[in-house]
Amino acid sequence: MQMGVTMRRMILAIALIGTALPFGAASTPALAGEAERVRELQNLIHDRLPRETAPPGLRARIESSVGGTRHERAKPSWLALAASIAVAAVVAGTSTWLVVDSRQQPMQVAELLVSDHIRGLMAPEPVDVVSSDRHTVKPWFNGRISNSPRVVDLAKDDFPLIGGRVDVLGRTPVSTLVYRRAKHLISLTAVSADGAPALNGGPRSINGYNIVRWIENGMSYWAISDVEPKELELFAQLFRSSQNEL
Amino acid sequence: MSITPLRPRTGPNSPDGPPVRLVTPGAQESIGMLDDNALFRTVVMPYIDEAYRLARWLTGNGTDAEDVVQDASVRAFRAIRSYAGGNPRAWLLSIVRNTAYSWLRKNRPATIVSVDDLEAVELEHGKLDERHDETPESSLIAKVDAEQLRAAIAKLPAAFRETLVLRDIEGLDYREIAEATEVPIGTVMSRLARARRRLLETLRQDD
Repeated sequence: MQMGVTMRRMILAIALIGTALPFGAASTPALAGEAERVRELQNLIHDRLPRETAPPGLRARIESSVGGTRHERAKPSWLALAASIAVAAVVAGTSTWLVVDSRQQPMQVAELLVSDHIRGLMAPEPVDVVSSDRHTVKPWFNGRISNSPRVVDLAKDDFPLIGGRVDVLGRTPVSTLVYRRAKHLISLTAVSADGAPALNGGPRSINGYNIVRWIENGMSYWAISDVEPKELELFAQLFRSSQNEL
Repeated sequence: MSITPLRPRTGPNSPDGPPVRLVTPGAQESIGMLDDNALFRTVVMPYIDEAYRLARWLTGNGTDAEDVVQDASVRAFRAIRSYAGGNPRAWLLSIVRNTAYSWLRKNRPATIVSVDDLEAVELEHGKLDERHDETPESSLIAKVDAEQLRAAIAKLPAAFRETLVLRDIEGLDYREIAEATEVPIGTVMSRLARARRRLLETLRQDD
């Protein structure tokens, strides 16, 4: 039963990333075959389903219907005004970013962050801003995230800083620093802790990615990587004990 | 010390996709200076092809897709001031998607599968997953033609279909898909994985 669940998760993970590699020793010919079929499917979709363009005339019709709307707006009636406010409110309401719920279970947060880490590994670059200089990375976040993380230089301890990126947790943008250990990347995400949510009981690893977390100055920090648990603990200790804040 | 430009996060299937822009304070200010029409031309008009393709996959035909895109564009124009300077493609696609679902609820209520029903679908699909250890037939889908592929994608439940279309055909990244379909990134990943599995199963059965 347990194996069935694990196997199912593995198959879904393979369907997502199209490779069996991250599972290392757990990889089997059957799983490798799955990965092969997923890649084949992606190629098939890419090669055989040409992306159509909008029919000629659609753009012109859109422009004329929008022009009509604009004409209405030139002479706004209370009704039209109220209607447009209502539409705007609905659209704004559905696109508002939710605040991270401090009651969100550590498991959910961990799973979202592991997903972000994997996505970072799959993307052409794991970071949005490439810099080994914390004096570059910190200001980059200041323009984007309301409470930016502490950025420390751990190059002398063989954890060089690679850069930073903005991840999305639920719908809340959060800041992630990326450090490197040998050939492995470590994603360190700072989440507004909003009081002191219970962090105990959360997972220490998901799908082979180790997780170390702690609270510091009202932020919870989540380090995620495929380095050995001991190395990740060492990274956390070094980060927490370093005082070279910008 | 130099800051590299924000990389476009388009997927491997869209090497020529429009670059994705994150919000910067400067962008917010320049948006404030554009009038509604200029903003509409910048935010909406460049993505009409994407909007049309998504609407077509959701409604199942080109005529309905045109109606949906036109309706969505009017909604987008009226709401253009609520566009906060984020990703314009994801913003427009979320409006197209909502418009398409309203249209389907009104015109074809039987085709709508709610998210609740999806759970049942996934349970059923769980049975399919158990059969992974059958003899692999790796060359099987190579024989599938475009029409079979299109039909198999059309058969997917809407939530799976839209996720697969946005990722594997349009090349959006997970974050954009999460924004366009209004679900967390974890849900996007789970739906994408399940959509691909179901598609593979369907193509295998077709053969």
